[in-house]
Amino acid sequence: MQAQLTAIVAKAATDLAAINTRPEFEAAKARYVGPNGELTALMKQMGAVPKEQRPVVGKLINEAKAQVQSQLDAALNRIANAELAAQLGPAVDVTLPAPDGGPGTRHPLTLVREEMCRILRKVGFTVADGPEVETEYYCFDALNTPSDHPARDAQDTFYFPTNARFGNVAKMNPEERYLLRTHTSSVQIRTMLQGQPPIRIVSPGRVYRRDTTDATHSANFHQLECLYVDKNVTVRDLKALLDYIFASLLGKDTKTRFRPHYFGYTEPSFEVDLTAHHLPKVKKEWIEIGGCGMVDPTVFAGVGYDPEVWSGYAFGMGLERLAMLLYGIDDIRYFYQNDLRFLKQFA
Amino acid sequence: MKISLNWLKDYVQLDASVEEIKRAITFLGFEVEQVISTGAPQLSNVVVGEILTRARHPNADKLSVCTVDVGPAGGVKTIVCGAHNCDAGNRVLVALPGAVLPGNFAIKLSKIRGQASEGMMCSPDEIGMGSDHSGLLILESKLTLGTPMNDALPPGDTVFDIEITPNRPDALCHLGIARELAAWFKLPLRYPEETFTGGIDDSTTGSQRPDLLRNVRVEAPEDCPLYSAHVIAGIKIGPSPAWMQERLKAVGLRPINNVVDVGNYVMLETGQPMHAFDARKLGGNEIVVRRAAEGEKITTLDGKERTLTSKMLVIADATKPVVVAGIMGGENSGVSDDTTDLVLECAFFKRQSVRATSKALGLSSDSSYRYERGVDPHGTLEAAYRAIDLILATAGGRVVSPVFKVGGDVPWQREIVVTHDYITEKIGFDIPAPAMRAAFEALELIVTREQPTEHPNRGVAWTVSVPSWRDDLDRPIDLVEEVLRLHGTEKIPPATVSAPGLVADDAPIVRFNRDVTDYLVGHDFHECVNYTLRPAAELAGWTSANAATGLALANPFVEDQSHLRPTLIAGLLESLKLNQSRGVAVTRLFETGRIFVERDGEPLECAAVGFILAEPVHDRAWLKRETPDFYTTKHHVFALAEAAGIDLGRQALTPVAAAHPGWQVGQAAAAGDLSHGWLAHFGLVNLALVKSLGIEGRVYGGTFAILPAKLASEGTRRRYSDFSLLPAAWRDLALVVDLATPAADVQKAVAKAARAAVGNAFALEKVAVFDVYQGKGLPEGKKSLAFNLVFRSAERTLTDDEVNAAFARIQKDVTADGSMAVRT
Repeated sequence: MQAQLTAIVAKAATDLAAINTRPEFEAAKARYVGPNGELTALMKQMGAVPKEQRPVVGKLINEAKAQVQSQLDAALNRIANAELAAQLGPAVDVTLPAPDGGPGTRHPLTLVREEMCRILRKVGFTVADGPEVETEYYCFDALNTPSDHPARDAQDTFYFPTNARFGNVAKMNPEERYLLRTHTSSVQIRTMLQGQPPIRIVSPGRVYRRDTTDATHSANFHQLECLYVDKNVTVRDLKALLDYIFASLLGKDTKTRFRPHYFGYTEPSFEVDLTAHHLPKVKKEWIEIGGCGMVDPTVFAGVGYDPEVWSGYAFGMGLERLAMLLYGIDDIRYFYQNDLRFLKQFA
Repeated sequence: MKISLNWLKDYVQLDASVEEIKRAITFLGFEVEQVISTGAPQLSNVVVGEILTRARHPNADKLSVCTVDVGPAGGVKTIVCGAHNCDAGNRVLVALPGAVLPGNFAIKLSKIRGQASEGMMCSPDEIGMGSDHSGLLILESKLTLGTPMNDALPPGDTVFDIEITPNRPDALCHLGIARELAAWFKLPLRYPEETFTGGIDDSTTGSQRPDLLRNVRVEAPEDCPLYSAHVIAGIKIGPSPAWMQERLKAVGLRPINNVVDVGNYVMLETGQPMHAFDARKLGGNEIVVRRAAEGEKITTLDGKERTLTSKMLVIADATKPVVVAGIMGGENSGVSDDTTDLVLECAFFKRQSVRATSKALGLSSDSSYRYERGVDPHGTLEAAYRAIDLILATAGGRVVSPVFKVGGDVPWQREIVVTHDYITEKIGFDIPAPAMRAAFEALELIVTREQPTEHPNRGVAWTVSVPSWRDDLDRPIDLVEEVLRLHGTEKIPPATVSAPGLVADDAPIVRFNRDVTDYLVGHDFHECVNYTLRPAAELAGWTSANAATGLALANPFVEDQSHLRPTLIAGLLESLKLNQSRGVAVTRLFETGRIFVERDGEPLECAAVGFILAEPVHDRAWLKRETPDFYTTKHHVFALAEAAGIDLGRQALTPVAAAHPGWQVGQAAAAGDLSHGWLAHFGLVNLALVKSLGIEGRVYGGTFAILPAKLASEGTRRRYSDFSLLPAAWRDLALVVDLATPAADVQKAVAKAARAAVGNAFALEKVAVFDVYQGKGLPEGKKSLAFNLVFRSAERTLTDDEVNAAFARIQKDVTADGSMAVRT
């Protein structure tokens, strides 16, 4: 019997090594360990083995069985591996580029706007929005800009014909004309009229000036404005906000300064300069970056806020100008051409 | 406006450096755009010399060899010179060895074409005096030889070019700026002394000339509250004195003659414009301040004929207008070389009147510029007196009539009460009360009263009297700015931002823009920004002619930016074209922004997102990818609508109407309209349009637009619904239908039948198309749509029998009306 067992194990070894497919494997498995298999047949002879030899023979059979099983396992493993390998093509060249293009990019103006909004959100500002087609009231009258003010000239501001109608931009009075907003300050008025103080908003958006397009001017551009209305707001608070914004945006070596200026809707009013040594275009120069001031009492009275109770500040700046400074771009027109070689540089 | 430093020094003793003065002007609130230095820079080893002899250079035709005597500075020098005017006898400036001229040009002993040269004779540009290089600077006066250059030349001047904000017309003159600087540097301000004070000497009464001007009448006092005219006889027109010419030139004015120059000089000194008439030319020897007759004409000093309207104020004589009031004189009445008798007008015109006329005529002047912004209503006569002093001094003559003064002094009385505490509260830091008071007084804001406030903690209260030239100061807050200006806005102390929390969230439109941008950037799109204003021709592809009219600006600046955009696709196509023409491969672009869409004949401002997917042209990719198609755009537009809370899966989609110029018929769809508050378009962009733009390849695109008011501020919270963990049963059903039948209709019918068939026994989980076929094996005009139906129960595993029964009923039901048949 021992000789028979050895022969079966040896035969199985040769046999199973040649097997490459699952059907072959199933057939071979049946031949050796199936109900009618050779090894099974030998095991069935155990009954005929004398009782005293049974432990020895049993051990031999078990050993043979284990050997055959291990050969079977190896064969199955080899087949499974071959099947997986068949799913693969040749090895890839990992250095070939992905053919899908991408990744997508945000426009630099979006990047700068979002960064400013993130910085301002940290100190409690939320982002507000308003229409780009505005009326004279929201763009000028409510901002203390009298009707004969040069900023309202048809030379500087885009107007619509007197009979123009815009279904979802309501006029404050029937005579006023529609226009394209010249600043995002109109959002301040809408926000103040809709709500009650305290208010802390940032309003980024597109604005329009009737201007020749050149390296620094564009018929439409973008502004970002902050408005804060509360009790006991001071010039010092305004300066603190500006210091915070530009230190967050440009780094700790950034300084800002105020120069007295004039805007109809703030009093006192300032222009804001900044300097940041690490910016190539700035270095030690003072660069004008925006305008600001304390909300004029007339503006508060116009929206029904008591100027004796409420005080506030407003700050506004051009986003293109800021982006040009941050990235070192020297022509505003690049923002509106959308050359992919430009767009891809900032994301 | 240009301000001369020499001139300022007449009124305030400024010893500070130019840099310090520039800084002072800046922090007083006037932007210094430019600082121009005239005159010569300080140079050493450049001295006065006289050319003794001139001979031709032996080796160069264009050069001369001169001997030049520089006196004690070094005797006679031999100098090679290339100028045409190095003639013997001329006194010139000689740069000797050791001199360093502007541009870091060092003068040394040298040889020029073999001839030794011991210095250089200088042209104006070589010593930094302007750009004249046409010849040597010839000194007119016989200065001692060897005199250093800076002693020989007149001292220069420094001119500040300053931007004056519209609220500060008082600063549009040298006295105004001097007043500010005196306040800044804490120096006294000296007004010019005036000799003439309005009266005429009794002794001259006999020689009065009432014939020169008989009468002054003001018919429009609402536009001209005060008009004054002085009569001066016996003047002689000639050039104004050199010092006056120098100053006028320094600030950019061309000297004309003594009378005109005085008028300009006093305007630049005091801010008060004035006008001088030749008395002979005033018809009827009278002056009438009146509205022009409609269509009346005048030829102004610039030589142009102006047609006036009845709203415009003129100064007229008995018959004709002679001045457009406050703006410009006429050719017919001004001073000329032979003028001997003058009428000097000095008046206060209302700013609105001057501004309206100036604007209507498209005519402005130094005078109108000041009137429009507002002149000092109490400065009129003072300025006239000053001008008379200067005219008498420079042109002779005498005042031969009492002043004609029509109208009274414009009332001016303004007091503001402000407390120390109020100012401190507004600025947020401490400035001592005495310093605040000093700031007012330095600006000639007279504190008429100082007293403790009733509330002991509120500090002192000042009653501040505002001078007539400061119309911009009206309220306590205006005085806060004055205090801060003089304190120095650079000295605002730093602080941390205090940010008490507010219960507020970003506007819904902001979140919408952010979400769609995130989505599209995440799908490899590049964000673009295009102009909102578009050419009329472009609109034709995207909106009706009628609607386009409603988008037109009244006053476009350039022709190709005349209309609001009705779509974002046109701008994106332009961007695509630009990249293609520059050889930059681009396939995916998008933009967010406002578009303007018509509803019931009115445009509405909408928030919008649009994207394009262009076929790659000259695709050089080493591995080809599937190109986009209609369903790619559908997928993206559904996702974008989802960001606005709109589930396009529940909305009717319609193929775009025939002959849509923007979208390709048969290859594009529309959904929604503005009566629902939103709309979407997607699919293939019109091939003919794309071709006409010169774009290569096909372009797919999609847009979604929504009224801002329609964007909900809060999304509704989703609720969880339970789902079965038991196995599903599924069946496939292929139906043959007419080619034109939309798949959604068939799907709806199948779903309806399926729901009816399963009833309450179990659930239909899904009906989805998985195959569309037409062609061989099917009748002409028919297609096959195959659906996968998934059934499931929440309570039990479904048996084949019950599913088969339901499936049989579904097939029976959907084919009942004969419009579809089960494909076998």
